[in-house]
Amino acid sequence: MTDVKQILNLKFTLNGKAVEVDCEAEETLAEVLRDRLNLTGTKISCEVQVCGACTVLVDNLPVSSCTYLAYEARGKNVVSIEGLAKSDGTLHPMQQAFIDEFAFQCGFCTPGMILAAKALLDENPKPSREEIIHFMDGNICRCTGYMPIVRAIQKVAGTEKSQK
Amino acid sequence: MMPLRRFTIDQPKSVKEAAEMLAHHGENGRLYAGGTELLLAMKHDLLRYEHLVDVKTVPDLNRISVGNGSLHIGATVTHRALEKSAEAREHCPVLVEMEHNVANVRVRATGTLGGNLCFAEPHSDPAALLLALEAHVHVQGKGGERTLPIDQLILGAYETALAPDELMTGIDVPLAAKNKRAAYLKFQIKERPTLGLALVMDADGGNIKSARAVVGSVSPKPARSDAVDKMLAGSRGEVEKRLADAAQALAEAADPVDDLEGSAEYKRHLIGVFLKRAFAKAMA
Amino acid sequence: MNEKKKGEFKIVNHSVPRRDGRAKVTGKATYVSDVKLIGMAWAKVLRSPYPHANIVSIDTSRAAAQPGVFAVITGNDLEGINPYYGHAVKDHPLLAIGKVRYIGEPVAAVVAVDERTAFAALELIDVKYEELKAVLTPEDALANDAPLLHDRQFEAGALRGFEGEVTAGKKSNICQEHHLKWGDVDEAFKKAASVVEGEYYFPMTYAYAMEAYVAIADVNDNGVTVYSSAQHPFMVRHDLKAIFNLPVSQVRLIVPFVGGGYGSKSYTKIEPLAAACSWKIRRPVKLQLTIEEAMLTTRSDDAYTWMRTAVDTNGKIIARQARIYMNTGAYAENSPLVVEKSTNRCVGPYSIPNVQIDNYSFYTNTVPASSYRGFGCAQVTLPGESQIDELAAKIGKDSYEFRLMNAAKPGEEFFPKMRPFEGTLKEDLDIAAKAIGWKEPIAKGHGRSIACSTSDAGAYPLTSTAVRIHADGSVTILTGSTELGQGSHTVLPQIAAEELGVPFEKVHLMSSDTAITPYDRSTGASRTTTLMGSAMIDACREAIQQMVAMTADVLKVKVEQVEVVRGGVRVGEIQLDWSQVISKYYALPDGEVIGRAYIRKAGRFSQTPVFWETVATAVEISIDEETGKIDVDKLVTVGDVGLAINPALAEGQDIGAATMGLGTGLFEELVYEGPQLMNGSILEYRLPRFADLAKKIDLHLVENQDGVGPYGAKGGGEGSLNSMAANIANAVARATGARIRHAPLTPERVWRALKEQKAKSTL
Repeated sequence: MTDVKQILNLKFTLNGKAVEVDCEAEETLAEVLRDRLNLTGTKISCEVQVCGACTVLVDNLPVSSCTYLAYEARGKNVVSIEGLAKSDGTLHPMQQAFIDEFAFQCGFCTPGMILAAKALLDENPKPSREEIIHFMDGNICRCTGYMPIVRAIQKVAGTEKSQK
Repeated sequence: MMPLRRFTIDQPKSVKEAAEMLAHHGENGRLYAGGTELLLAMKHDLLRYEHLVDVKTVPDLNRISVGNGSLHIGATVTHRALEKSAEAREHCPVLVEMEHNVANVRVRATGTLGGNLCFAEPHSDPAALLLALEAHVHVQGKGGERTLPIDQLILGAYETALAPDELMTGIDVPLAAKNKRAAYLKFQIKERPTLGLALVMDADGGNIKSARAVVGSVSPKPARSDAVDKMLAGSRGEVEKRLADAAQALAEAADPVDDLEGSAEYKRHLIGVFLKRAFAKAMA
Repeated sequence: MNEKKKGEFKIVNHSVPRRDGRAKVTGKATYVSDVKLIGMAWAKVLRSPYPHANIVSIDTSRAAAQPGVFAVITGNDLEGINPYYGHAVKDHPLLAIGKVRYIGEPVAAVVAVDERTAFAALELIDVKYEELKAVLTPEDALANDAPLLHDRQFEAGALRGFEGEVTAGKKSNICQEHHLKWGDVDEAFKKAASVVEGEYYFPMTYAYAMEAYVAIADVNDNGVTVYSSAQHPFMVRHDLKAIFNLPVSQVRLIVPFVGGGYGSKSYTKIEPLAAACSWKIRRPVKLQLTIEEAMLTTRSDDAYTWMRTAVDTNGKIIARQARIYMNTGAYAENSPLVVEKSTNRCVGPYSIPNVQIDNYSFYTNTVPASSYRGFGCAQVTLPGESQIDELAAKIGKDSYEFRLMNAAKPGEEFFPKMRPFEGTLKEDLDIAAKAIGWKEPIAKGHGRSIACSTSDAGAYPLTSTAVRIHADGSVTILTGSTELGQGSHTVLPQIAAEELGVPFEKVHLMSSDTAITPYDRSTGASRTTTLMGSAMIDACREAIQQMVAMTADVLKVKVEQVEVVRGGVRVGEIQLDWSQVISKYYALPDGEVIGRAYIRKAGRFSQTPVFWETVATAVEISIDEETGKIDVDKLVTVGDVGLAINPALAEGQDIGAATMGLGTGLFEELVYEGPQLMNGSILEYRLPRFADLAKKIDLHLVENQDGVGPYGAKGGGEGSLNSMAANIANAVARATGARIRHAPLTPERVWRALKEQKAKSTL
């Protein structure tokens, strides 16, 4: 190991609450969430910014937490999958829609997928099918063939068409 | 997991300070913006740095503005900010359209246009279009400032003209004249573009006064030639007849090689296809 | 099993929401990578840079001296355990011993206090190699002067599940060969009215589960416990037991949710290495591979197939012959079984009186191949279903009509000595044809294809299960089946709820912990619904019989006087639900009833295959002839499933399999340049994405309750993949006349084929 080591004291908002965590400069947001804060809902998969399994929202924008330094989250508003449901357990509409439309199977891509879908509708509440595909194309699913995910998003947006 | 090896992060408060930090670290340090390409390379041990200099802590590098006949894009403007910029859309819609299709939504949210140009990944969209648009970049180091056209910034695969202490501070795109017609098309099979074709023309009615065609992603750096551009000037009918020859000349300039994206022969063929399509799109 | 008919089920045959839904959408679902054990150390692996080399020396001292490193282990440190394992043959050392056989093979492992420390120490290990000549293709492997990858015979794997003699290690690089023959193909081809012959290539692919392989091993005085992403925990348990010389009762495999399997997590992978690390340092050790390491751990076999198919003057297929070479990489894994299955699956769902298939699997110095969705079927369905279309075109028959003409009929013993066919292929094909608009006019540059496949599925019928009915009427089922996403956690409680007549919400499950859940041979080969589901029914019925006896005891009546009703019993005027039966039996609202079942290859499961996995599929594509790029505009799948325990889940499996199949038809291929895997990363290995989504997708299920499983169910989830590559090739041929026999049909391949075809037609 090199001799350099820098410990950062990071303060940011996580799922609506202020957090403070010490970490090393080279730690990614995914590492901090999973290993330091024990929030293992964020999944690590490709680690090269391609698959989106690690998607987390920072100031409402989707980022690849596997390659996004935790340092970058300082002072920002971070939302992980654990932050979507209400404290009384009521699911976020996107989570419920994923259940209703069978938009997942193994579930490993699902936290990232749901957060990406939420970010899409927050930015564009009534996206066309093409806009959904363009935005979501950065998230990969190996189980579902994508169709039920599109349907779940359209359901929440209220833009369903009978596509069967 | 692929853990990043240890490094420290410096937070310069000015361009001058950033240049000094880079000079101080030498080979052990690198400028860092979005990290969307740099950190991937570091995860794979293709690059090793003990110090990253965060250019985003330098104020005023993330602005988009219009003035002096140019669209000024600060070095730390993200792809997404450019994609959503009303000013950019008004003055250079082809740039906005290109940015809309860069990588994926997460890379666009954190990756910067400046960082993309300085990383000089061959399979990439922005450099080809910016070269066609005759963009310039502003560079500053300990010794002072200079301005470079894209083809003097990007020298080869992952290779730029930046000195160890230099950082890019912004990109200037000349504003489109009323008769500017432009198109950027890309062909992508895997995760990075296989080919990108940028065509910018000064056209007036059925007459093309001048043109600039650039092909990206098929060679270590974006390729163009004056000879190609000459063939693309003339009346619309004349130029259409010469498109195949122009594509061949452009392919000569690019000199594509066989790789995982495709054979040289296929890429040469694609240059012809997309020059034709870009022309049709730009003239539509 | 078929007493109830469609429409009579309360819970089964309904698309109830997934039982694991909340957990997965809230991020609470636990996968192995989320598990932390107290005192857990981390391992990182050093891998071979050479395809074939002797290991001359390994110096681990610098790495071992690093602060935070507990140990560095190599193949030299395994005295005291049996380091070789393998499903079919025990040819696979858990770390390279004396020799490396592929680029990426594990050579050493660093075990340290955290992952970063382990990783940093890797480059401090010095390994000296003596390079050997490498073989990379079956052709290389066959050459007279080819070096042998394995120069001794091995112990056969104990549970290998196929009957043929193992041919590995017998002085050649042949790992396994399998031959199938009936009738007389030579005679048939002599007499044939028309023959189609060709050579086809199906690529090496990577199943690409989003979750890479991961294991946490804890070897201590009590035995070996491993958390793993394995599909078959009981098989892994058996390998570990043999490695550590322990009784099965001291080896425990725990599998939580698995982030995708698709066959690639079948059998033992990194568990022995993780366990060896833990054994060395006497602490739990987590070994988490990256996706790129996972791509150096397993792949699917590729296949070079020469095939010919013949028809008589009436257009009836009279013969099919094929010779297949499969490239199985450096270790056998379960490729010998894949060879057997792919041989069988050359026949397709057709009545062919003369068949000869000769299949050879070769060791090469590449990543080991193991099972992949379809288990050898996709590899041979490319030639099989391509030739059906080629033949139909040659004799001027519509390819859909041609399939109907030759389809095996329900009840027909179309495959000698195997279970008679129970697919209703005519119905399946008719639905597919209608859904794709087979007879409708089609625009230029567009093409349609319709195809079908059947697989001898269900693997081996050996399973057991237990059902615990609690005194409050709730139920816990204990199942060895793993939840890979296919829905076992939903379907099995559905069956139990249906059988016991209790609400679905009252049935929960405990799964895939070999210390707690009864033995199940495997989760794969689409067998869980059929076999574990059948066991579930048997266990519930057995529990009910116990509760009938308990009722008789409690109410002091004869067993014959006790009538079973939905959710309980009735004796005269008295009606008791299960909770009341149990509480009265124990004289307290406490206690439980445990129902159990064993299934073996007997009775209704005495014939193989357990069932035929039969599917019809269709696509409509458009081709950009200038670039060769293919877009899939329409996709149709028809799963002949007997009965869908959960229709939404069954359809979900079909579209997932079809999408993976489209990957093999359009862009998925592992590319080797010499010994080096060039695209072992998601940056260069192209998976199907949102942008590839067909505009119109039609999913159908045919449910004639004609299977041997619960209520007439069969299985599903692999079939829709098998015929996709052929569909793409056939659609391109129909649209352009160009026949491509090499999958995937990448844009460049299509462009070249069209170019060659244009050149030919201008001659």
